[in-house]
This record gives sequence, structure tokens and C-alpha cells, in this order.
Amino acid sequence: MGFVVTIFSIVCVVVAWLKSRDRAGGSRSWRSRVNAMGWGLLLLPIAWIAMWLFGVNPATVGLLLLSGAVLVMAPVIAADLAAVLLILLGLYGLAAAFAVFKQGRAVAQTAKAVSVSVIPGPAFARGKEVFASAKGVVISGGQGIATAVPRPPRATFPPKGIPVPHPPKATFLQHAYAQKIANLHQMVVPWSGPGVRPSPWYAALTGAGPQGYVPVLLAAFVFLAFGLWLVPRTLLARGALVGRLTSRVQRLSETRTDAVDTAAAELRRVERDLHDGAQARLVALGMSLRAAERLFATSPGAALALVGEAREMSSRALTELRDLVRGIHPPVLADRGLGDAVRALALETPVATKLDIDLPGRLAEPVESAAYFAVAEVLANAAKHAQARMVEIHMLHTGDVLRIAVTDDGIGGADPAMGSGLRGVERRLGTFDGILAVNSPPGGPTIVVIEVPCALLSLKTSSS
Amino acid sequence: MRVVVAEDLFLLRDGLVRLLEAHGFEITEAVGTGPALHRALLTHRPDVAIVDVRLPPSFTDEGLQAALAARRKVPGLPVLVLSQYVEQLYARELLADQAGGVGYLLKDRVFNDDQFVEALRAVARGGTVMDPEVVSKLLVRRARDEPVARLSPREREVLALMAEGRSNSAIAQRLFVTEKAVSKHSTSIFAKLDLAPSDDDNRRVLAVLAYLNA
Repeated sequence: MGFVVTIFSIVCVVVAWLKSRDRAGGSRSWRSRVNAMGWGLLLLPIAWIAMWLFGVNPATVGLLLLSGAVLVMAPVIAADLAAVLLILLGLYGLAAAFAVFKQGRAVAQTAKAVSVSVIPGPAFARGKEVFASAKGVVISGGQGIATAVPRPPRATFPPKGIPVPHPPKATFLQHAYAQKIANLHQMVVPWSGPGVRPSPWYAALTGAGPQGYVPVLLAAFVFLAFGLWLVPRTLLARGALVGRLTSRVQRLSETRTDAVDTAAAELRRVERDLHDGAQARLVALGMSLRAAERLFATSPGAALALVGEAREMSSRALTELRDLVRGIHPPVLADRGLGDAVRALALETPVATKLDIDLPGRLAEPVESAAYFAVAEVLANAAKHAQARMVEIHMLHTGDVLRIAVTDDGIGGADPAMGSGLRGVERRLGTFDGILAVNSPPGGPTIVVIEVPCALLSLKTSSS
Repeated sequence: MRVVVAEDLFLLRDGLVRLLEAHGFEITEAVGTGPALHRALLTHRPDVAIVDVRLPPSFTDEGLQAALAARRKVPGLPVLVLSQYVEQLYARELLADQAGGVGYLLKDRVFNDDQFVEALRAVARGGTVMDPEVVSKLLVRRARDEPVARLSPREREVLALMAEGRSNSAIAQRLFVTEKAVSKHSTSIFAKLDLAPSDDDNRRVLAVLAYLNA
């Protein structure tokens, strides 16, 4: 039997190990794979302990099979199951200890009160070797070999008030506890049928006299404590994880909707600007050139004037395109990244600026863009609405968070809920889990803090 | 006058080369990438270089970086930077070494070839030419407690035109005053900006620099 159990366990662990690579994110290091398997690895040892405690019977064999299956097929709940099983083992031990304790007192009292008594059943107390009730369990004394006999009826021993003979004390006690354990067993594993075989371990524990409950209690507490310790790390952790994931999914769908809306609106604006601006100017340019072409032969002077006009028009088209490009993705941002783009922005702002920028590398382009337009909006507000005379910009990247603080000495009273500008910035930052906090009491000063979690990419290699 | 041209778009490069040749410039080399520009500047040491800010392979400000790197090795190597857009940040970086011989213009300015060629010659002479867009944006900024704030409105006007690389006579024409009056204004500007008397071109560069840093 032991051989079969060992082989089965080894097969389960090996298969679980092979499957753990996916859960460890493809990592080959054994440490991360053990981590991925987690507390679920305890499942098989628990099944062994159960088998040891309760003997080999359909219930414990079933538990072992179940443990192996869960470990292999559903490693996610293996740890949860381990915690539950440990707690059940502990509770079982508590019940057993209590039964032993009660029985010990009852027997002690009986032994005190009744000096001479009669044995109700046959075949009691046959020396040191065997102790068993008439229809109950037979356990060989302390040698670790249990044999099965037909299941006993519900606890009836020792029948209270019925005089019992005075058997050798130790044997009597051992017999009583064994009976009690067998009954308890019957309660805990009612379907186990005739195969119930209380383990030699229990026999040893309960054979220790009236104080026999102490080791059982200790063992129970160990199981219970370990099981309870596991609960927040497995079941509760997963509950919390589910809660977190739910709110995360909700937030992601919200910000995704925002992002899609913003992108669509932006494209629409670009389309309109191109249509009404550069595109229209190019059409006019072509028409002017065509007219000039016709006039060349007849009136070169007028043709020349038209060509000059056409050149003007191309200049204006270029200006409009330039402004449009700046609004989509400023070239300096593409060239130099966020730090220099904000420096350039500060130079163009009518308000005096003080910069403190600590950004040793580039960020992901979408983050750079969102952060740039956020700062641009805040600066524009400071100049336009707050009537600020001085703006300070602090920009810092630490611990995978980009933090920008913009402080102005204006009149304050800014509210993101009022203007659509800051709200748009907030939404755009939200796509990256970024936040915008505005502190702007009436009378100023206004402090705007932007935080975006993002990784710093490698230092930009400058060409020589 | 020997010129190196750096521009990655073939049409524009070709157009520039033809325009310059029509005005009697000698094209030493026309290149299309940042590294090639850097090499050409250091080997040919041209009288002036025309450089597009954005060049391959990275398509960032590679042209500007190459020009700045070459100027670090050859101080005052005249460079006229062309771009689809102008950034004050880049203007400052070009002016930072105070060696003069720099220009920074929008590409559209090429349309007006006379003015463009004049600007190119000014840069080759060691002057400073800033695009009117750079200059006009400065006017938006409030005057603050800096040397430039001491200038009278008229002097500031003269300084702005100076920043665009115009000569005294061109400024006089533009402001409808005599050249002598412009010269008087510029002397006053230099004094107010605490620029010690020295070679006039250098003082103009420094004045423009003070102006841009305002």
C-alpha cells in the first residue's frame, strides 16, 4: 500500500511540476516554479497525514486521489483546499481530545465510585494484548498494527450506571479510549463502513492514561493554527484579489471608453482642420497657378502677381500645418522627450517659469504625450485664468512613477469639475492610471500635481 | 563660398542645391544623414552649412546635434539650421556658445530666396540670424526685471530686427529712420546690456543672446 501511495504521490508532484512552468510565467528557475505551486504543495502531505491518522480506508484513499487530482488539474484551488483540510484535521483533533478528556474523567469517577462491577459484554480485557468491545474495534497494543472488525454501534460504552467489573486499569482505559475514538471516527467518516481502522498513532496517544488528551490537543492546535494561518494567504487572498480585479476591470473599461472617445474626437478635429485649412489652401494654390499659367502669354504682370499670391498661400498652408502638428504631437517632444519639451513649452509661455526637471531617460511615447499636454493645459490656465506672474514646474521620476507638480502664484479658484480642459487632461491621464490633483483655494496659490505610473526607458543615445 | 547642405528629402535637397548654385555658391557636399553631416562638416570645414534639424537615421534632432557637435570641435563654424518648426529651446542651444555664425530659420523662408541668401551670407560672416517667429514669440512674454527690461520700446524693436540678422541699413529701411539713428540705438542697447565695446558683430550676437534669454 505504502508503495502505491508513494508512486502516486511522486507522479502527481512531477506532473504538477511540469505544468507549473506556465503558471510561473515560463520561468525555468525552480524557485519561481515552487512559488507558482505555492501552498498547494501541502495537499499531498496532508493526505498522507490523514491516511496515517485514520488508516487506509476508502475515505483517506479518496482524499489522496482528490489531492493528487486537484494538485495536477486545478492548482489554483489546491492551496485553498490545503487550508480547509488542515482546519478540518484540527477540528477533528479538538473533538477527539475533548472526547478523550471526558471519557477519562468519567472512567476515573466510575473507577472511584464502583469498586466491584460486572462486564456487560463478552471477551473483554484479554490481558495486555487485545482490548476491544464486544462488537467494536480491535487494536493491537501499541505495536502499530491495526486489524479491522465490524463497525461498532454508537457510543454506548461504558454504559452509565451499570456496574462493571474491575479490569486492569490501564487496559480498561485504553479500551475505553479506543472505543471512543472508533465512535468518533464513525461520526467523522460515517461512510467508511467496516474498513474503519483507527490508527496506531491515536492508539498510542490515547493509551497514555487520563492525560491522553493532551498530546491530541497539541496536535489539533498545531493543525488548526497552521490551517487558520493559511486562510488569509489563500482563500481570503483570493477573495480580495477577485474584489480588486473586479474594480480594476470596471476602471479599465471606463478609461478605455474615454480613450477611444478622446482618440476619435481628436481624429475628427485633425480631419476638420486639414479639410478647412491646408487642404483648402492647396486647392486655392493650384487654382492661382492655373490662372497664372493662362495669363502668362497675354499679361505677364498679372501672372507674376498671381504667382506671388500663390507663394503667400503656400506659406500660410505651411503655418497651419505646423500648428496642427504641434497640436497632435509637438516635434520637440518626438525629438527630445518630455523634459526638453516642457522646457520648450516654458519658453513659449508668457508667464515667467522656474523649472526643476529630473528625468534621466525617455518615457513611453503615449505617456510623454499625455503628460506634455497636461502640463501645457495647466500652464495655459495659469497664464490665462489665474493671472499668474510666476509658475514653478517640478518634474521627477522615482519608483516607476512620473510626478509633476505645477505651482503658480495666481488668484486660484481653479476647479477641474468646472472647465473641460482639466477634465480632459484627467481623462487622458486616466488611460495610464495617472491622476491629476488640483489644490486651488480662492486667492491662490494653485498647485496641480500629476502622477503617472510608468517605466523609465533606457537613456536616449544621442547621435554625434 | 563653399557650402555643405544636409537635408534628407531629395526634392528639398535638390531644390536648395539649385537655388544656391544659381546664387553663385559652391556646393561642397550635399548629405542626407546626421553622421554624414558631422563627417562632412569636419572634413570640408565649409564657409557655411545648411542643416535640417530632423535627419535620419533616428529622425529626431540629429541634424542639430551633429551641427552642435561639429561646432564644439570647430568653434564658430557657421551653421544655418533649417526646420519645419522653430523652438526657442533649440535657438538657445545654438546661441549658447556665443561664438556667432549661427542661423535658425523656418524652411518656408527659402521661398524668399533673396532674403534667404542674405541670411546665409550673414551667418557665414559670423552673424546671428533668428527666424522672425522666434523673435516675435519673445514679444509675447512679459518684460521682467532683466537687462532687456531697461530698453526703450524703440530699442527693443531695433534689437528684435537685429536678432533676425538684419544689418543696420536694413533695420533703418524697415523702421523708416536713418542708418545713423539705428547706429545710435544699437550703441545705447549695447550700453544698457553691459556689453563692452568690441567688434560690432560679436556685440550684436551677445545682444541677441541677452534678448533671447529674457
